[in-house]
Amino acid sequence: MTAYVLTIVFLLLLAPLLLSFIKMIKMILLFKKPVSIFQGYRNFSKLMEKETIISEESSSMTRYAPFLVLSPLLVTMFFLPPVVQGAFYVSFVDAFTITGLISLSTFFLMLLGLDSASAFGGMGSSREAFIAALVEPAMVLTIFSVSMMAGDLGVGQAGVNLAAHFPKEHMASFLFAGISFYILLLAENGRIPIDNPETHLELTMVHEAMILDLTGIYLALVESASSVKFVIFASLFVSLFVPFGLEYAAPVAGFLFVLKLFAVALSVAILEVSTAKLRLFKVPNLLGIAIVFAFLSLITFYVLGA
Amino acid sequence: MHMFQFDTLSMVFTALIFLGVIPNLFYSHGYLPHIERKAHYQLHYFAFVISMIGVVVSANALMFLLFWELMSLTSWQLILTEAKEKKTIDAASFYFIMTHFGFVFLLLFFLIVSDGDLEMGFSAMHTVSMKFAYPTLLFFFLLLGFLSKAGAVPLHVWLPYAHPEAPSPVSALMSGVMLKVAIYGMFRFLFDVLYPWPLEWGIVILVIGALSSLVGVLYALSEHDIKALLANHSIENIGIILMGFGMGMIFESMHLQVLSSFAFIAALFHTFNHMSFKSLLFMGAGSVLHQTHTKNIEKYGGLIKSMPVTALTFLLASISISALPPTNGFLSEWMIFQSMLSSSHLDNMSLKLAIPFAIFALAMTGGLAIACFVKAYGITFLGLHRSSNAKYAHEVNGLMRTGMLLMAAVVISLMLFTPFYIGWFDKVLVQAGHLSAYAKIFPEGIWHMHSAGMHGGVVSPLILLAALIGITGLMMFAYRALRVKERIHRTWGCGYRTSAKTQYTATGFAGPIRRFFNWLYKPDEHFVKETVAGHKSKFSTSHYEVHVTPLFEKTLYRSVSKAANAISYWVYRLAHFEQTRYAAMIFNLMLLVLFSYRIFAHTFSWATFVLEGIVMIISIKVLIIGEKR
Repeated sequence: MTAYVLTIVFLLLLAPLLLSFIKMIKMILLFKKPVSIFQGYRNFSKLMEKETIISEESSSMTRYAPFLVLSPLLVTMFFLPPVVQGAFYVSFVDAFTITGLISLSTFFLMLLGLDSASAFGGMGSSREAFIAALVEPAMVLTIFSVSMMAGDLGVGQAGVNLAAHFPKEHMASFLFAGISFYILLLAENGRIPIDNPETHLELTMVHEAMILDLTGIYLALVESASSVKFVIFASLFVSLFVPFGLEYAAPVAGFLFVLKLFAVALSVAILEVSTAKLRLFKVPNLLGIAIVFAFLSLITFYVLGA
Repeated sequence: MHMFQFDTLSMVFTALIFLGVIPNLFYSHGYLPHIERKAHYQLHYFAFVISMIGVVVSANALMFLLFWELMSLTSWQLILTEAKEKKTIDAASFYFIMTHFGFVFLLLFFLIVSDGDLEMGFSAMHTVSMKFAYPTLLFFFLLLGFLSKAGAVPLHVWLPYAHPEAPSPVSALMSGVMLKVAIYGMFRFLFDVLYPWPLEWGIVILVIGALSSLVGVLYALSEHDIKALLANHSIENIGIILMGFGMGMIFESMHLQVLSSFAFIAALFHTFNHMSFKSLLFMGAGSVLHQTHTKNIEKYGGLIKSMPVTALTFLLASISISALPPTNGFLSEWMIFQSMLSSSHLDNMSLKLAIPFAIFALAMTGGLAIACFVKAYGITFLGLHRSSNAKYAHEVNGLMRTGMLLMAAVVISLMLFTPFYIGWFDKVLVQAGHLSAYAKIFPEGIWHMHSAGMHGGVVSPLILLAALIGITGLMMFAYRALRVKERIHRTWGCGYRTSAKTQYTATGFAGPIRRFFNWLYKPDEHFVKETVAGHKSKFSTSHYEVHVTPLFEKTLYRSVSKAANAISYWVYRLAHFEQTRYAAMIFNLMLLVLFSYRIFAHTFSWATFVLEGIVMIISIKVLIIGEKR
């Protein structure tokens, strides 16, 4: 139980660190003076101290939605696979529910974008809706495939199963599902090539456009929601597709897990530096690849194995 | 002779009708002052309700058909309550034709299975149908009869016309309850009369379901008439119900009994859920329409400030219809997903490989539904008023509010008391001679819902709800405790002054998705731009509008009517020729009959086929068409 609570608190604390780490790596690779790895915490504390300005046009939605953007993701944190052996995990929520909770958070984020009546918010919401609608099928199919290989749809149990016995005979299916999930990780978290998290140019922004009118704690809530989302996706990726190291003693296993999270962040950073952002109407092509790989994973599973 | 029966299936659907009707009564009563022909409306309203109850409790074909027809006629009259525009009358006649198109097939079905005795009970029909040589024909009669009422592809075209024209309480009732009566018909006659189902039937229903759900949600997205949008979502949800139903039939014919019960329970549960949230959505749309006097979403905006009760209930229903946890809509869609994931139990490889495509369709539908309801809710209730009508809107009267709140209570009860409802649906299946799945779904008490398949998922709606409310409440409490300074001020809109005209519109919101599905929509775009002095990029005013005509209507319906027109015109033209041409036509018809007899009855040879074809063409050309003038 302590291990369980500690893991959640630890992952929450790690969340801003990972995003700052990505930023830092990117700046190093671009020969800029890197930001501190603790910039995420600084931003958070700065926003917490600020006064909250609510735009004149907005309604009560702006007062409630930021909480509802963050809380489904916080609930999801409780359902992640265990990091160390023997850690208690909650097994009563399956991967579908997690998809649903993430969608719930996105739903309120999109409403938040439409609430302040600014053209930017609407634009961001519209684009987010477009991307999210295409992410959904790929996500569900990938989950379906992984759940069959892991022998359980509940992500907690699936993570444990995979760590205990990795089905090497389904390596091909695993690889396909992994590629698909990695693309989804990029899409859901608004990373390049889907969305550029660092820009404030109307042509390119998706996530930032929705939250342009937020300030203070509300902004802090939504920003932490996006970092929590990254941690969720990264740790799901790590425990479902690189499920090794759970058998070691708790400190080693924990350390390995963090190392793997940072490896994912590093890969995202390298990818962001080396690719350009796609045009919005090219995004379906990338997500189409995710969908195709998810199908391929299922088909190889059925045809080769089982 | 039994006229009525009250078995579990009938009672479940009677309960569905009552759950849908009681809140609607309040709403309808509140709406009444705005209807001119009150007596006409009230009479048909109550007759409509009684006829629906009659359909679900009738025990023989005669009663069934009587109430079914009464239901069609009263709802047709209700659409005509406010028949001022030609559009309403057109929609009503379209509905009239479609519903009787279905009725004909139901009549054919009953004439065959009842062996001429229309007062025969349903179980007696089973023995007759067993002897009938072509059960698939009966199945297709049922499909055409019930799905034309339920609004599944390709018989869905009347819904987006008829539902918007009816008064809002009636659209809530028609979409929420009447479509479900058709689903009742599917359950009743597939279980009682046509029981051992071949595998293909289930696949047909699954495919129809998948198509309906995608088509419904895609056209809903491109719709700007709020009631037509909701009507299109009915098509989608009927599709989802049919997907559950089809999975149930597939599992049943593969002898996976518990999984089959699970899928049927999912379909029944979604039937209830769709009744609750779609009624609520239509009521909310009705309130908005009543205040703003327009059905066009682009003319709303900012209504959350002036109509909080409507906005809140509409939000609840939107979350539920978008299948977001922990609402009831999510739970039933979760069950349908779980039953499709259990397809790995099937030992038919091609089915195993095909069902992921249905999963894909359902997931895509879910994603697009979220987009659609963000659009519907965001453009209607959030932002600034987009027209002066919206500006002067205020909350509707107490009775209408009561109706909406009661319906919201039904939605919440379906969410909170899921195990109770599922236990009930389980009884329906047990009574129909299927295995019970309740113990599989709730093996360890009512807190956790399990999938019936191996390696299936678990979800615990109540714990999830409690966790969400708890965490959100804690955070809000912390926010209060921090005593943050708040200021309401103009925020930076990138230098532009925010006004009603600079907001995103519904057209703009659906823009990316519409553009992506352009190959399907093939929209008519109207773009008028007053350019200044010949500059392409400088203009004083511009206006952009998009209209999407559904593909099915364009291809299937209009081309059929075009072909009928062309043929009748040709016949009409022939009728003006002299008698020798008639003689020539008869001569040619005889030639055709003789030639076809030769070709089909004797050994087929290409040489004679070609020769006789040439003879036919020449004689038609010379004798009938004659020389061109």
